[in-house]
Amino acid sequence: MKSIFVILFFISCLSCESQPKINITAEKKMVKVNGGKFKTFYVSKTDKPLIVAPFLMDECAVTNAEFLEFVKANPAWSRSKVKRIFADSNYLKQWKSDFEIGESNKNIYNSPVVNVSWFAANAYCNWKNKRLPTLAEWEIAGNAPPENIPYTSVTDYIMKWYEKPSLPVLPNVKSTYCNTYGLYDMHGLIWEWTFDFNSFISTGDSRNTTNDNNNLFCAGASINVTNRDDYAAFLRYGFRGSLRGSYCISSLGFRCVKDLSSNKF
Amino acid sequence: MKTKRNIFILLVLAFGAFGTSCSNNNSASAADEKVTGEEIAELSYAPMVPKPITRNYPTHVIVNLNIVERVMKLADSTDYMFWTFGGDVPGQFIRVREGDEVEINLYNLPQNKLSHSIDLHAVSGPGGGAEASNVAPGHTSTFHFKALNPGLYVYHCATAPVPMHIANGMYGLIYVQPKEELPEVDREYYLMQGEFYTKQNFGAKGLQEFDEQKGINEQPTYVVFNGSVNANTGKNALPAKVGETVRLYVGNGGPNLVSSFHVIGEIFDKVYVEGGEMVNRNFGTTLIPSGGAAIVEMKIDIPGIYNIVDHSIFRTFNKGCLAQIKATGGRDTLIFRKN
Repeated sequence: MKSIFVILFFISCLSCESQPKINITAEKKMVKVNGGKFKTFYVSKTDKPLIVAPFLMDECAVTNAEFLEFVKANPAWSRSKVKRIFADSNYLKQWKSDFEIGESNKNIYNSPVVNVSWFAANAYCNWKNKRLPTLAEWEIAGNAPPENIPYTSVTDYIMKWYEKPSLPVLPNVKSTYCNTYGLYDMHGLIWEWTFDFNSFISTGDSRNTTNDNNNLFCAGASINVTNRDDYAAFLRYGFRGSLRGSYCISSLGFRCVKDLSSNKF
Repeated sequence: MKTKRNIFILLVLAFGAFGTSCSNNNSASAADEKVTGEEIAELSYAPMVPKPITRNYPTHVIVNLNIVERVMKLADSTDYMFWTFGGDVPGQFIRVREGDEVEINLYNLPQNKLSHSIDLHAVSGPGGGAEASNVAPGHTSTFHFKALNPGLYVYHCATAPVPMHIANGMYGLIYVQPKEELPEVDREYYLMQGEFYTKQNFGAKGLQEFDEQKGINEQPTYVVFNGSVNANTGKNALPAKVGETVRLYVGNGGPNLVSSFHVIGEIFDKVYVEGGEMVNRNFGTTLIPSGGAAIVEMKIDIPGIYNIVDHSIFRTFNKGCLAQIKATGGRDTLIFRKN
């Protein structure tokens, strides 16, 4: 029985590299995520599932080292040059200076870049000829089950992240788990920006819904959700609801996606 | 024609005056005092209460509350990741005066993982401030309200999932001191009941995990006063002297249970029922709803230990719901003696 488990474990690891290798000169590996129907977490009776086309997604979050390349190529996004409306005063505060992560911060070179605003993340993806994932894309990608760790449910796994204090040094990318798409660290390492992070509270896409933040608070929060027992999703949407585009937060990073059909977006 | 017009004007003036006096009556308590000056609220950690406000006019009160996610003791060898207002459970006690304009600055510490908010039951307005105050880590939210109604109120985090935020310790008390302050007493203390839902059994060692299903089933593993088992027992019991009157500001954060609040061996001389104006006298157990409060007073007649319990008594015996008053002083054998 045990050996079967071990064999399964090995097989399941084939799609995920067991040793993280970071090479910033090479293009970041992207994996294909099958699209499908996505039911938003907060729904009204008139909401229909979104149809999400298949897409490519960075296999892990953008690292400090990778982001440094972007800043060097685009000095307008350096710490001292960036406009306050595009990034608040926490922008890249983990770095030594505008163009240096710093010798003493060696251990975060391959950690996800955090303290980046939505605007900065969006600019990075565009620079790479990619884009930020939509909320629906991110959720579909993030809901895939882990492949290389024992787990009971994704929700349980996520909840354990909240139950532990933040580590003093943010671990490297690919340090948590890999899911069935071959995506690393979708939960349990950082939060990630989505293109439309606050779409569920704005009127932009919704029809005839309550469409305000009330859904997130007090008893209002249990109305019109697809699964009221999914506390991890509540926490994730609640977090997104507290964001503004200029916010830079020490647990918030990003990864990019690309359409399958073309390089355009 | 001219007289007709004058009569009309007179009528308008008369109605106008009538209307004004009406609206004055409606908002008399809040509007008749001028808000003067500004001060920073002095907050306290349980079991202490900020000292009574002595000014006789309303002011602009600034309340600076920090949100802290941190591991603390739930029991002797048991740790838990608490979400807190001010770094402790219950959250810091806020004391303002009726008519004050209150400014709440909610700072979510950068190392925290989650967004949070505050809903104060003392606020008149949808959500009690929750929506206005939802705040991401590393950021501050600010909102204002006028303390229209005196009384003792619960505040809590109201970001989804609300039950989990409350079950992790995000509640506290705000006391809107009436214009005519309650009679002075010898001692004031802050006690707040709350439940914890863990996957492991009561007393298990190490860092505990939140159990959502137990919460949904309303079957807590721990029921405690002031955030942990034995927070205010033994050497941390609430001190008092014989002859003194003790006033307890008691809250119930829940998230599920209603408390049958009782002090063993004492009789409540006075209870401001549910933290409001109505006073009940001379009884033994008062009901405190989840998300509710009460102000209870008792004069201590005999020295010794007084156990404070939820008289839904399995919670005390098996789940940790116990605090103590330790009274010192001379014994009056006419009131109580053995043999």
